[in-house]
Amino acid sequence: MRQNPEQRIDSRAIQCWRWSAIIKSFFLFFIPAIYYAATHLWDWPSWITFVLLVLALTDAIFSIFIKPGITWRTWRYDVSDQEIDLMHGVFIKTHTLIPMVRVQHVDTEQGPLLRHFGLSGVSISTAAGTHEIPALADEVAATLRDHISELARVVDEDV
Amino acid sequence: MSEPQRLHPAAILEFFIHNIYGLLKAALPLLIVFIAGNSFKWLLLAAPFLLSLFVLYGILYWFRYVFYVSEQELRLEYGIFKRKKRYIPFERIQTVQTSAGILQRMFGLVKLQVETAGGGSEAEFVLPALSREKADALRQILQVGNRILENHTETDASIKYSLSTRSLLLLASTSNGIGVVLSALLVVVSQLDDIFSDLDIWNKIAGFAEHLVAGKLSLIVLFVIALLLVAWLFSLLGTILKFGNFHLVREGNNIKISRGLLEKQQLTIPIKRIQAITVVEGLLRQPFGMVSIQVVSISNTGEKGEGSVLFPLLPKQKIVPFLQEVVPEFAMSLQLQGLPARSRTRYLLINIIPALVIAISCTFLLPWGYLSFILLLLAAWLGNSQFKDAGWETEHDKLLLRCRRLDRITTIIPHRRIQSLDVSQNILQKRISVNSLGVAVASGGAGTYVSLKGIEDEKNDLIINWFD
Repeated sequence: MRQNPEQRIDSRAIQCWRWSAIIKSFFLFFIPAIYYAATHLWDWPSWITFVLLVLALTDAIFSIFIKPGITWRTWRYDVSDQEIDLMHGVFIKTHTLIPMVRVQHVDTEQGPLLRHFGLSGVSISTAAGTHEIPALADEVAATLRDHISELARVVDEDV
Repeated sequence: MSEPQRLHPAAILEFFIHNIYGLLKAALPLLIVFIAGNSFKWLLLAAPFLLSLFVLYGILYWFRYVFYVSEQELRLEYGIFKRKKRYIPFERIQTVQTSAGILQRMFGLVKLQVETAGGGSEAEFVLPALSREKADALRQILQVGNRILENHTETDASIKYSLSTRSLLLLASTSNGIGVVLSALLVVVSQLDDIFSDLDIWNKIAGFAEHLVAGKLSLIVLFVIALLLVAWLFSLLGTILKFGNFHLVREGNNIKISRGLLEKQQLTIPIKRIQAITVVEGLLRQPFGMVSIQVVSISNTGEKGEGSVLFPLLPKQKIVPFLQEVVPEFAMSLQLQGLPARSRTRYLLINIIPALVIAISCTFLLPWGYLSFILLLLAAWLGNSQFKDAGWETEHDKLLLRCRRLDRITTIIPHRRIQSLDVSQNILQKRISVNSLGVAVASGGAGTYVSLKGIEDEKNDLIINWFD
């Protein structure tokens, strides 16, 4: 039996995702609000406002209070000399293996929210797509990026 | 070739036609307005000016279109007002293709296209008109310069495969292009409507239809059958033109394919650029025991299933000998391990549930809708064959995966071509301890993803161990 990866992503990620969900939900509430305004202008059924409101509320509760914690708890990664090992997901648990020799390049990226929390995402590109480790502490991400890029450079094959 | 070279002057004609065609396409509405608005006279007066302008432009463009070979690079410089330079290092070249369209044939020329791994549907380096000698010389240089296109001319006993006329006819009559042609026909009909708006085509058809519904249902059926027949004939013809005269040759480390009745296409695929090989058993071709062999390679210009066909139609029992001869690097026996019996229910449900939803809504919404419950039987049959056909096998450096959506597709992937491998498990799969396996392979653009659902946990560990 293969060992599952053990490294966790940074726990500040939960706060970060929570804030990002709050911002997203704020905009989501515009939909019922606009619809509500529209019912006054035209003769549209008003019960839909209620349905939209409930949907927006459910999504907000789920994405602000429940999802960030679960995502953080289920994310695991490991980087060895040979390969990168990623595992995540609740309902669908996905375990991805990327051989080091297949890595084309590594990026760290950081949006305004991630920067505020001192976090960065690391994305690993192969010739057939990109895989991302979503939130690591800046120093950890930078070290990992350099480490992977160092290892990937060892074997240089065509594609 | 190290000296800057120009194309054959026939290229001027090619550029000219290309530009005129582009202009017409863009300015067609304007043109119609002109003709309708009695300004036809002005148009006739302007035409010679415009045409000579285009000829001049074509000549200048040809004059500035220069290519040469230097420092292990293929270099192209072109453009009149904005000079563009494109340099392609030899080792980045994926395929070299020559073809001859009507224009090229008139002058005994060829068109040469060079592709790299970069995205986009156009080839990166196009020389539209070149004498055969120059094209051959350029090919020679590229093959010497590119260690991957390397040619072992000493092995004269090269392997040849050709498509027989009988196979071609079978291929054409079972091609899945019917739907495409049918929609193209509809587009043409709707275009006709625009052009002959006075003729009221749709009103006539509507009148015709009313007439039919008024008691002659059988005529509608006849009409539909006739339409399908026409579509089928078109797709038959298209396939014959495209795949007629199909020859495949393995020379050293390259596979060379030439095909086409009207427009002759030549394609070189270096073995090292092939990422995976798929054996596709189309639903229509399966009763005949015929398969088509395709390749996944880094740059697939053109539509899917066109540029990637290695051999269009082959009897099932010849697959293994074909692979051993043409691409021994990928040859393996196609014996595979099936899925555990407990996965069968999943495969059945995933097909039956959507069919059930459709059948129920049809029953409520349409007269005779309950007939759609036949769908359930079809779905069950499909689910069962999807389960039976799915399977996998590993052989020291190759992975074999087989699954079916409608067509049965068997994929052979060398270990070193796997970009990433993932194993996923949803809650339902966890209960019966099976997994889904997914493998990403590089191809043009985003890559190709091959997956197989419902493998036992233990077997999955075996595959992961093999991968490590």
